[in-house]
Amino acid sequence: MQQSLTQKNQARKRRDTLPFWLILPTIIVLLVVQVYPFLYTAWLSLQQRQRTGWVYIGLQNFKNMFNTTLFSDSIGLTIVFLVGHVVLTMVIGFITAFLLSRKIRFTGLYLTLLFIPWVLSQIIAGEIFRLMVLPDYGILAGILQNPALFPPSGLSVLTAAPPTPWFGSFPFPPSPAMTLLILSSTWRALPFVTLLILASIQLIPQEIIESGRIDGANTLQVIRYIMVPIILPTLVVAIFSLTLNAMNGVGLIFSLTGGGPGTQTTILPWLLYAIGWQQLNFGGAAALALVIGVVNLVLIIGTLRVTRVEEASA
Amino acid sequence: MSKITSLLRSKNKNWLIHTALILIVLVSMFPIILTVITSFKLQEDIERNPPELLPCDTATQSFYLSACRWTTTGYEHVLNPVTDTHTLFNFKLTGTLITVYLGNTILYSTFTSLLVVLLAITSGYAFSRYRFRGHRALMTSILVITGVPLLTNLLALYQMGITIRKSGLPYDDRIFIVIVYVGLFLPLSVWIAKGFFDAIPRDLEDAALIDGCSRIGALFRIIMPLTVPGMIAIFLLTFVNVWNEFLAGYLLINKNQYKPVMFGLYNFLGENLINLQVIGAACILISLPIVLLFLYFRRSFFIAMVEGSVKG
Repeated sequence: MQQSLTQKNQARKRRDTLPFWLILPTIIVLLVVQVYPFLYTAWLSLQQRQRTGWVYIGLQNFKNMFNTTLFSDSIGLTIVFLVGHVVLTMVIGFITAFLLSRKIRFTGLYLTLLFIPWVLSQIIAGEIFRLMVLPDYGILAGILQNPALFPPSGLSVLTAAPPTPWFGSFPFPPSPAMTLLILSSTWRALPFVTLLILASIQLIPQEIIESGRIDGANTLQVIRYIMVPIILPTLVVAIFSLTLNAMNGVGLIFSLTGGGPGTQTTILPWLLYAIGWQQLNFGGAAALALVIGVVNLVLIIGTLRVTRVEEASA
Repeated sequence: MSKITSLLRSKNKNWLIHTALILIVLVSMFPIILTVITSFKLQEDIERNPPELLPCDTATQSFYLSACRWTTTGYEHVLNPVTDTHTLFNFKLTGTLITVYLGNTILYSTFTSLLVVLLAITSGYAFSRYRFRGHRALMTSILVITGVPLLTNLLALYQMGITIRKSGLPYDDRIFIVIVYVGLFLPLSVWIAKGFFDAIPRDLEDAALIDGCSRIGALFRIIMPLTVPGMIAIFLLTFVNVWNEFLAGYLLINKNQYKPVMFGLYNFLGENLINLQVIGAACILISLPIVLLFLYFRRSFFIAMVEGSVKG
């Protein structure tokens, strides 16, 4: 009797440690590939590479970074890029999702075709867009470089100078290369956002919309006063997730513009790549990486907040 | 009567919605269609000034179908087929993109996806079925980790690779990169897997436990078969992500012969600056496998993406 009880206790103990063993491999991999690199970066941001090895230089890397015009220019460019990318993607994504949510045929086919850009690699997406506007050879070059359409001498997207900014040194309106970058990143992110919004529209109970209709609301009013408030958490999640992806991807820029012409498309992630891997200034890159990391953290915590509120209210 | 008119009106409206959607789809497919057209062009048609959309014009007509000049030289340049009577179809492909880089990518994608599925299932199951101390904190930190920019990780991982190589420890580019990929793509998969397990009723498992099945036994016999669609979804999502990943493979892999296909493509772009048909062909050949994979398994992709994004 006594023995079987101890056996049972032992069995329970073993069972209680089971989740630990199940999770352990995941934790180890994440510690090695994600947590350690982050801590290492934090350490690295205070160091400078010298002939003898790494030397502690305090916050000098950060000071250097904030003092360069490249950094402040890059912030302006990043804001223009993010706002353009997010607004364009959300608007087109919402319209597409709304159309797809109607009870009509072929929506599956439309969604599938729409999704093909999402499956393509960023490198390839960038290359596809570059092929279109390549000076002289690109298929759109015939239109863009036509002086009659784009005076005075036609437009070559990949080499054109930026327009005169309207507000001091803030890079608005965006340069042709920046516009192309925004268009191509929107093109690739659109399917994801459409699917997200579509999924949440389909979860709206039909009765709510019906009752709105009976009360005399037209389609726009139904969208504005019934659909948008209900799917608002999803819209916020989509905006955060778009920003997060755009803040961290350099694949598109790699094959599309390479940060150029000049520094017209040098947004923060590309600046990080340029400092780290082209200038091989790892300390400076680490400092910038921490700044980007903080922005990411805010976005992710914001997302968590929103989804938690949604769960609590559901 | 009024019913008929409203039905007619809705038919009318549907027609409008279809038109709008077809327009959106066409605009979204336009860059891809252009690339396909470009990849079948002749070099002299590419170098025409001003550029022509379709190489189908004659001296007198701007479009004449049977005058179209299509060619597959772009694809031949990428694949570089050589006659070889020892193989099944009497030729073999000798382009480096295929012989070197494509194999690497298939290897990395497959192994990474398998490992991610395994780890996501075990930890997703534990997170879904057990409430232990630090449960929520751990789940949250797994998500927060994804906020560390990839480029940040790469700085440290690059140094890590150098340190291991220097220290004389057994090092292999291929093992290293697979571990890195697993770490990069695991966090979201854990959340997706947890969501799938949450959707399976506990009663099923309890019934098995009462009938004398062990926890592990219940996991493998009762729960696993139900999560097969979820596992497929995670596998495919990871597979596509690794296939498309460029930067980590480009920066972390030391030996050129182990680099993935996206690096091969990038290299290729540098070698063929004005041979647009070759560039187009390379882009299409490399994308084709995953596009086909997506078209065949599209439901799995949609499920995984909605699950991963709404929860995450």
